[in-house]
Order: sequence, then structure tokens, then C-alpha cells
Amino acid sequence: MKKWLMGLLMVSMAAVLFGCSSGTSSTGEVSVLDDGAGEEAVKLKYWTFVELHGQHFQSMLKNWNEDHPDRQIKLEVTVMPYDDMHNKLSIALQTGQGAPDISDIEVGKFPDFLNGTPQLEPLNDVVEPYKESIVQSRLDLYTKDGTIYGLPTHVGAAVAFYNTEILEEAGVDYKSIVTWEDYKKAGMAVYEKTGKYMGTADTSAGWQLSMMLAQQGSDFTDAEGKPVVNSPEMIKGLDILKDLQKNNVLATIAGGQPDTEEAYGEFNTGNYASAMMPFWFMSRYVNYMPDLQGKIAIAPIPVIEQGMPPSYGGGGTGTVVTKQTKEAQLAKDFLAYAKLTLDANINIWNTLGFDPVNTELWTQEDITHNKDNKFVQYFQNNPFEVLNEIKDGISLIKSTPASPTINNELYTTTLNEIFENDRDVTEALNAAQSQIEQQLK
Amino acid sequence: MESRERLSKILLFVFFSLLSLLVLLPFYAIAIASFKPGKELIRYGLNLQLDFSIMSLDNYVFLFSGQHDYFTWFTNSMLLTILQVALTLITSAAVAYGFTAYDFKGKTPLFICVLMIMMVPFEILLLPLYRLIFNLGLMNTYSSIILPGIASASTIFFFRQYLLGVPREMIAAGRVDGASEYGIFLRLILPVMKPAFAAMGILNAMGSWNNLLWPFMVLSNSSKFTLPIGLKTLLTPYGNNYDLLIVGSFFSIIPIFILFVMFQRYFIDGMTAGAVKG
Amino acid sequence: MVKRFLYSQKAAPYVFVLPFVLVFLVFWLYPLASSVEMSFQKVMLGQSAQWVGFDNYAKLIDDSMFLKAVMNSVIYTVLTLVILIPLPMLFAVLINAKFMWGRELFKSVFFFPALTSVVVAGTIFRLMFGEMEGSLINSFLALFGVEPVKFLKGHVTGFIALLSLAVWRWMGVNILYFLAGLKNIPEDYYEAASIDGASTFQKFRHITIPLLKPTTIYVLTISIYAGMAMFVESLMLWNGNNSPQNIGLTIIGYLYRQGIEKNNLGFAATVGLVLLLVTMIINLTQLALSGLFRKES
Repeated sequence: MKKWLMGLLMVSMAAVLFGCSSGTSSTGEVSVLDDGAGEEAVKLKYWTFVELHGQHFQSMLKNWNEDHPDRQIKLEVTVMPYDDMHNKLSIALQTGQGAPDISDIEVGKFPDFLNGTPQLEPLNDVVEPYKESIVQSRLDLYTKDGTIYGLPTHVGAAVAFYNTEILEEAGVDYKSIVTWEDYKKAGMAVYEKTGKYMGTADTSAGWQLSMMLAQQGSDFTDAEGKPVVNSPEMIKGLDILKDLQKNNVLATIAGGQPDTEEAYGEFNTGNYASAMMPFWFMSRYVNYMPDLQGKIAIAPIPVIEQGMPPSYGGGGTGTVVTKQTKEAQLAKDFLAYAKLTLDANINIWNTLGFDPVNTELWTQEDITHNKDNKFVQYFQNNPFEVLNEIKDGISLIKSTPASPTINNELYTTTLNEIFENDRDVTEALNAAQSQIEQQLK
Repeated sequence: MESRERLSKILLFVFFSLLSLLVLLPFYAIAIASFKPGKELIRYGLNLQLDFSIMSLDNYVFLFSGQHDYFTWFTNSMLLTILQVALTLITSAAVAYGFTAYDFKGKTPLFICVLMIMMVPFEILLLPLYRLIFNLGLMNTYSSIILPGIASASTIFFFRQYLLGVPREMIAAGRVDGASEYGIFLRLILPVMKPAFAAMGILNAMGSWNNLLWPFMVLSNSSKFTLPIGLKTLLTPYGNNYDLLIVGSFFSIIPIFILFVMFQRYFIDGMTAGAVKG
Repeated sequence: MVKRFLYSQKAAPYVFVLPFVLVFLVFWLYPLASSVEMSFQKVMLGQSAQWVGFDNYAKLIDDSMFLKAVMNSVIYTVLTLVILIPLPMLFAVLINAKFMWGRELFKSVFFFPALTSVVVAGTIFRLMFGEMEGSLINSFLALFGVEPVKFLKGHVTGFIALLSLAVWRWMGVNILYFLAGLKNIPEDYYEAASIDGASTFQKFRHITIPLLKPTTIYVLTISIYAGMAMFVESLMLWNGNNSPQNIGLTIIGYLYRQGIEKNNLGFAATVGLVLLLVTMIINLTQLALSGLFRKES
């Protein structure tokens, strides 16, 4: 008895105090991407909240290791839920301990990481060679005082996705929808004839709000970065959406916005005839809504008044190299290679279905119109035709230090009050404004 | 009288049978879901429909042969649970023995500390503890999970109650035989504590196996994650993870179920240990 | 010499309790003290702390979100008490009845849910209470012609989901507690009462309930403790700490949001201390009540 117990005790003690705290005893080889990497390869840690991003890195890693036999890399990918990954990264960077070499940061959270002295590596030098062909506004999102800290994955141009099967049933031609007024008429016809809703009234995300603001040349914050969520433009935009909801054109959706697993199900079943989402929502159709294959057409978003810029760049992920990396140059070079080169952008389009930031690619018809591409196959019209059409009407919605607080208030409370509880728009926005100001104090 | 009793017997049985069905319903729902593609679940919600045209063993095949970290997490959880339970039991038993077998200066105030700890929700200390672990450089280690709970107050309390029932003559006899103080504990006392060990072992194992919040705060690498944390990371709209999530959740219940069926008595003893202290 | 001392009967008890003393000092007392200190500071991990006096406390009093969190936790606790004490007590008495079939089986079945982790249970319940027509609860309601309910978006329905989860997980455990308590009631009490012609209900009212009081108090105490500290259930049910209009926000949830999500440790420590104060008051009241009971008997 005694020997057995003492043995166990000693072993466990030793394991706890030495084995585990050394931090080197990794058993999780499963998630290490080591395509073509030899013995000498340097191991880099990469955090993301999007599993697919890891897959993109995997294919780029293979090419990198072939092209750079003397600078080979192994990548350890950790995928965590959105909130958790950002919380952990924020803490790791502030404390100077435990951060990965490379990490994704979502655009809405990015300002948090630019506070004070950013604990991120400047990337200007590796961006320089590609500067001409990259959409500048996407780099601006991740730039502070002229220093670029994050590399974009996509433009995220917002477009409209129409389910033409439902529209035809209601006798509606999506090509004739130019303004929100047209959209309303079409939507009322759809509801009357099919009993289905034209679109979603989003309560947990601000894609629609951002479109409305972008079209009016406004933003969530003023020129100084102060929150102005009760601006006349905001009220006007929400009034339009609320009016659409009252007329059964829009309805709230399970999950609260199109980009949730519940909503994918609703769309796939054919309960909603359209979605207004950034370009990358294409990938959700292809991956999660198989029943809609061949039924979805892409078009510019309706505008409030003709001549307004229809679109804005929505969502986005800036990939960063943290100050804690011991291999800064290697990580930076690999990052540029994996996100900015033409090859990388072709791969981003081919595997992720995003609108690549390297515009050179937008006009290369052999890639954009490739018959074997699953995204090209899925949709009725070619996505890039719409993209090239709205190219000059893609505005920027800023991300500021106040953005995380604004987003939190609007997308957990305000929009729910307006669309679920029927609270007056102006009243709800005034309440949001004062709550946000209180929290930012 | 006879027939009335029979009637209540039947009524009671029917009532509790229905209640049992209600209790088992979620298990049944997830069991069915584990045979369906994750996309079905997302599209139609979790329900009880047995649709054999879409049901298959694909999820199980993926669980056992797919590219994912599930069994890394599973192994981590197992190791951590075993390690944590073994260390907690031995340490707590020693402390409890100290409190029962001896009279010493400061015994009463110390024991009040034990009682106090039992009353303070651990969650209150999350942040200072987090800062402490950080300052000690123990982030992302299993020590940060094991050490704070190694002398568990409720386990000490239970062991002490148990040891109060062990005759002091046993200790005296040991001393007469020339055994050292520690020898008595190791050779005489530990063997008689077996039933108490079983009860507390199971209780602690349940807690450790299912623990989420604290491990989740201190661990940050997929290769170190435990099962609950790993399963939680699958809950993201940015990955097609429902296939693994559901089958993985279902599979994670199975080991503890088997243990329960095998050692049911100890589970119940362990759970009710606190209630009967009187 | 040292070895001799360590092996002496004088030193041995201290050696035995040493692990506890260390854990108590390092992982309880020190964090608690630093919690108090932090509540007077502005602290962010990785930066040096600044003294701010009672700022955090003043901010807390003005904070409508904190109030909401407290209300949610209190309502949740009260409702769990209202459901999870009388029902398990009644069920335990019924299961314990001598004309009960399948006693052991039912005991096990009711206990099963307690074996599942909150992560798994919360996920199952989140899906069951989904707002789609095909989700379990809604498809059940549809049998009665009820339109699909958006359970996790409303205050009342959200709490129904949260309470269902709690009842499902803890009903069986509480039944076990009461069964253990019933074992301690001598059989002769009931026999004597029967001879006096007492009805079943009278026996329940005048023998079972009073003699179960120690068990009830125990269950009450741990339920209050668990209710006030509830967080992970809400986290899993809403798949995150941000529920629509914060209907699922609890005190610990708020502590987590401020401390971990916003790295505002000082303010979060203040939240924790308020919770500590509240639980201490409740516990002391508890102890006083149960002490009173002992004197009576």
C-alpha cells in the first residue's frame, strides 16, 4: 500500500511541478501543420477564430516550404471561439506572456489592440512590394499613425443575395430593384404571394446599419472618433428598416443575423428571399446551404437614393505578428506571402470564396470565371461582375477605439429592443448613446 | 385497503416512469442527433425524428479517424482528472487526519478556516487568483488547475467526519508497535479510509472531469485543452463543427456513465456525504 | 535532529495540516486580500496599479448593468429554491414509500443528468430551446397549436430555459439528499402516528417536514451558493456572455465581462467583493437559523 501510494504521489508531484510547468510537453501534434517541413523547420503558433483560415494557411504553407527550403515553417493552429480568442490574445499581449507568433484579429476588435503602444510588429516593409495592387482602405483599417499592423484577408464588399426561386414565384425580378423603395414593393409582393419574408431584420449584427450609414456618407463615430449612434442618418436608416419590418418585408431571424448557424438553416429551407451581406457570405452559401445551389443571384444592394454608393467593406480579419515572437522576420515574410501575393489571393478566392484584396485578380477571367470553381458554379451570375460594377462605390466604415463598446451595446440591446420589442427607434438610439457614453467614461 | 394500495402503487409507478422519460429525453435527443449530419441539426433544430435515410455512422467514423484534437482533449481530461483526484485525496486525507488524530495549538481557528472556505464561492477569487497564477508564471500549465484545489475543504471536512468514527485505540496500538506518526497514517489509517476515498474520489472526479471556467481561463493552447474546453471551442459559427460537437458531447458522457453504473453506491454516498452530516 | 523533530508527536500534526495552511494562505487568503486591495485600484494585467479610492464602489452603485446582473442572479436563485426544494422533497418521500416499484432504477435515472458537464448539457438545452419550428420544445408546443417561441430572446422564456436546465441537472441530486435525510427518521415515529390515527398527509406535515429540516437547510445553503454563483450555465445556453438585452447576465458573468473581457480587474474585484458580502450575510443568517433549530430540539 505504502509503496504504491508513495510512488503515485511522487510521480504525480513530479509531473505537476516539472513536466507540466515547463510548457514544452505538447501532445497535440494533430493540429500542427507541417506540410513539407523538414527537421529544421521553425515552429510558429497561430491563433484564429475561423477554422477555414487555418486551411488557407495550410495550403500556403506547403508552397512556402517548397519555395524556401532553408526557411521552413511548422504552424501550430489553435482555433478558439471569437470572444475567447480575442480575450486571451488581449491579455497575453498586455502581460507580455503567452501570445502566439501570428494571430487573427477581427476588425471590430482591432482598435483594442492599437491602444497605447501596439504590441504588434509593424508590417510596412513586407507590404511595400504589393502596395499598388492592394485595396488601400482595407489596410487603413489596421493602420495606426502610418504603421500597418495587420494584413487583410478580403474586401468584404457588401452585396445582395437573392433567392430567385422565391422571387419568381412572386413575379419579382431582382434586377429591377434599385432603391429600398423598390425593395419594399418587391418584398410586399413576395409576402403576399408566398407568405415568406423578403429579408432579415438583424438584431445581433450591424451589417445593415453599416450599409445605411455608408450610403449616406455617415458613420457610427464622428470625425474625432466619438460615438454618434443617434445621428439623423442612423435614425433614418433604422426607420427604413423598421418600416420594412412593419410591412412584413423583413423579419427577425433565428440567431439574430444571417451569419449564424441557425440562420443558415432558415435560408437553406427557403424562409427568406434575400440577404444583404458582405461578399464573403458566399462561402456560407456554398458550405452551409447546399439546397440553394443554382438559385441564388448576386446584385448590388438597394440604395436610399439613386447615385449613393451602394456598398461598404464589411467585417474583416487583420492577421498580425505579435511582439512576442522570436522569429519576427520569418513570421512577417510568411504572412505577406500567405496573404498578399497573387498566389495567396487566388487561393483565398478558390478555397475561402472571399473577395481578395489584391485587385489584380478581379479582372483575371481565367480565375474569376473558372468553371471548376465551386463558388462560380453555385451562383447564377458571376460574383466578380457585380464586384467590378460596384468597385467605386465601396465605402469605409471606420473602426475606432469606441467601436467595441458601440457594437456591444447596439447588437445585444438596442437592435433587439427595436426589432423584437417594438421600441421607438429614436428613443432606443438615445438610450444607447447615453449608455455608451457612460461606459466609455 | 389491499386494492387501494395496489392502485397507488400503479399510479406512482406510471408517474415516475413518465418523469423518467422526461429526464431521459435530452439524452435521447442528442443520441439521435449524433447519427445525423450536423447540417441537419442546424437546418431543422434538435428533434426526435428518426429519419433513417439521413442517419449514419459517419460522425462516429469521423470521431475515430478524422483530423481533429478530440482525443488529445480526451486524454488531457483523463490525465488531469486522475492526477488531480489522486493528489487531492492524499493531501486532504493527511490534513483531515491531522485535524482528527491530534490536539494542537491553533487547531480550532484552522478548522474554522476550512469551514469558511466551504462557504465562499470560488468564483469570487477568479480574478485575483488569475493574477496570482499569472505572476507565478503558471499560465497554461496544469499546476495552475491542480494546486489551488489540492487541499479541498469539502473533502477534508468529509474525511474528518469519517475519521471521527475510527477508534483512537487503533492509533495508540500503532504507537505501541513502534510505528512512526506517518507510518500510522500510511499503514493503518489509509486502508480503513477506502470507502471514504471511493466516495470523495468519485465526487472530485466528476468535478474535475466537467470543470470548465477556471481551466478555460488559464489554458490557451489547443494541445493542452481539456474536453469541456475543447467542446466549447467547437461552438463557433466560423467552422463546420457540429458533426464533431454532437458526437463528441455524446461520447464524453459515456465513460462517466460506465463508472456510474459500476460504482453507483459510491456516487450516491459521495453526493449525499454533505447532507447527512447533520 | 531535524528528522527526529519532524517525527515527534508534537510536530506531526503541523506536518499533516501544512498543505492546507499553504493552500489557504496562497490560494485563498492572499487572493482575497488582493481582491480587497484591487477594489481600491485601477488594475490592468501587465500594468502597474493606481490607487483610486472608492471610485470603483461609486461606479458600481451607478451601474445599471450591475443592477441587472444582481437582479438576474437573485431571481434565478429564488426560483431554483422555489422549485428545487419542495418538489425533490415530495418525490423523495414518494420514492421512499414502501409500496414503490423500481426505487433504485428511478433514483439512478434522476441522477443521470448530474453526470453531464455544463458544456454538454447547456449545448443540448440551447438546441432544444432553439427558436426554429423544428426544435424540440417548439415542435412539442406545435402539437397544441402554439406558434414557435423565441425562447432565448425573451426575459421570461429565457429564464424558463435556464431553469429547465437547472431543474434537469439538480432534481435528482436533491432527491438523493432528501432520501438520505429520510433514512435518519426512525420508523417508529410513523407507526406511533398511525396508531393515533394520523392521515398520510398529517404524517408528512408533522413528522417528515420537521425532521427533514437539517437536510432542507443543507440543500437551501448549497442552492443559494450555487444560484448566486451561477455563470457557466448562462454562458453555454447563450453560447457566450452576451445574451440579447443581457437577459442571461449574472453577477459572475459581469465579473468575467469586466475582468477578463475588458481587463478591468479593479472594478471586477469590487463586483466579487459585493457578491462575497451578500453570500456571507445569507450564510450567517442560515447558520443562525439552523443553530436556533438545534436549541429547540
